[in-house]
Amino acid sequence: LDGHTNVRKRGLVELNPDNLSRSNIAGELQLEDTQRALTNILDDIDTEKNQLEQTQKATINILEDFNEEKLRLENTQRALLNILDDFDIEKTKVEQTNLMLQAKSDELNRANEELQRARDTLEIRVQERTAELQQRTLELETSNKELESFSYSISHDLRAPLRSMDGFSLALMEDYGDKLDATAKEYLQFIRSSSQLMGQLIDDILNLSRITRAEVHLNKVDLSELANEVVDDLKRLNPERRVYFIINSQLEGYGDRNLLRLVLQNLLGNAFKFTGKQPEARIEFGTTYCNGEMAYFVRDNGVGFDMAYANKLFKPFQRLHRPEEFSGTGIGLASVQRIISRLGGRVWAEGKEGRGAVFYFTLPKPRR
Amino acid sequence: MPEKMILLVEDNAADVTLTIRAIKRANIANEIVVARDGAEALDYLFGTGQYRGRDINQLPVVVLLDLKLPKIDGIEVLKQIRTNPVTQLLPVVVLTSSKEESDVTTCYKYNCNSYVRKPVDFNQFAEAVKQLGLYWLVLNEPPAK
Repeated sequence: LDGHTNVRKRGLVELNPDNLSRSNIAGELQLEDTQRALTNILDDIDTEKNQLEQTQKATINILEDFNEEKLRLENTQRALLNILDDFDIEKTKVEQTNLMLQAKSDELNRANEELQRARDTLEIRVQERTAELQQRTLELETSNKELESFSYSISHDLRAPLRSMDGFSLALMEDYGDKLDATAKEYLQFIRSSSQLMGQLIDDILNLSRITRAEVHLNKVDLSELANEVVDDLKRLNPERRVYFIINSQLEGYGDRNLLRLVLQNLLGNAFKFTGKQPEARIEFGTTYCNGEMAYFVRDNGVGFDMAYANKLFKPFQRLHRPEEFSGTGIGLASVQRIISRLGGRVWAEGKEGRGAVFYFTLPKPRR
Repeated sequence: MPEKMILLVEDNAADVTLTIRAIKRANIANEIVVARDGAEALDYLFGTGQYRGRDINQLPVVVLLDLKLPKIDGIEVLKQIRTNPVTQLLPVVVLTSSKEESDVTTCYKYNCNSYVRKPVDFNQFAEAVKQLGLYWLVLNEPPAK
């Protein structure tokens, strides 16, 4: 800018009017001077203009530089903003995750609480159930004890009077027989046989209740062997009888040996008894399949029974024959049924009057 | 022969009569002392109560002991017989109506010498008594005193 001021000063000096008015000749000179001054001024202006243009260019350059910087700054700013935005998004995401986790945790807590409640309820229920069972066991034990003392009392007290009836009836017959006529002796005989029958009934009742109370020991039992033992006893005690026995070999069962012996004693004993009037008695012990289930059977060709009475067979003290025909108290098959049901099996019978009978029973398969 | 007597411990009068009848029928001539309850049996054996002063070395050759007795029952009598040194070797035959397993087991636990159940049929009862007499009075060698 100093340049411009100098140029103007030089132009002003040369156009000074004092100089112009000095002379006409000098006027011409003055014009030339003025022309020169003007040219100088124009040159100066041109220079000034150039300088100005350069300054302008420089300024523009500076401004352009500023602009670039500004753009860069803006970009940086934008990038920062982007990063901040990203952070924001991330933050929101983390917050959402946190919320979700909290919700999950709440849910878990709730589930846990519910579980605890369920466990508490279950525990209470188990305790209640246990108490109930204990009560029930106690009741059963009590009633079992009562039953035991009852049968103890029967065993002791009911038999003593019977012994007296029998013993003194016999004493009367022996000591005063000469004073008694045939009818009196017959009556005394009735007293005796009735006493003895009642003694037998008492024994049978006790045996039946013993079956219910007996401990059961489950094992594999050789039923063929048991049956042969029973048959040997029958033959030995009744040497006059001719009976053809077919005992199938290798029959095994899962149950209590002593109880199964009682079953076979009763079933084979019955078969033996009810073939008593059969000249060619035949008794068989074997197995067969009924509805896909293996069943043991004892078959005889004895007097049989009418199927109409089949439901009575297994009831205690029920008999299908008069005592004069066949002896017995009617407890054998009741015992068999009680034993088989205690062992977890079933028992049933088929028969025809005069055509023999078949008694079937099943035993459960061994556990494990 | 006082040292060959039989002590019968039995509360039921009819059973006493029948047992004595059965013993007689078996031709057993030994004296029979009857105690009508457990306390009386122990008094007799230990010389106490109504039997104070009795020579307790005079032991019966066998005791026939019922189980269900007034005052002191048969099992308690058996226990006391086995606890006392004077009577601990005395042959005791339990003669009772019951054949309850618990009774049988308990009696053998306290070392009874036999357990016989009285049958209802008098002929069977007499036969059992006869066998008992034959065994305890004839065959069995009693412990040395």
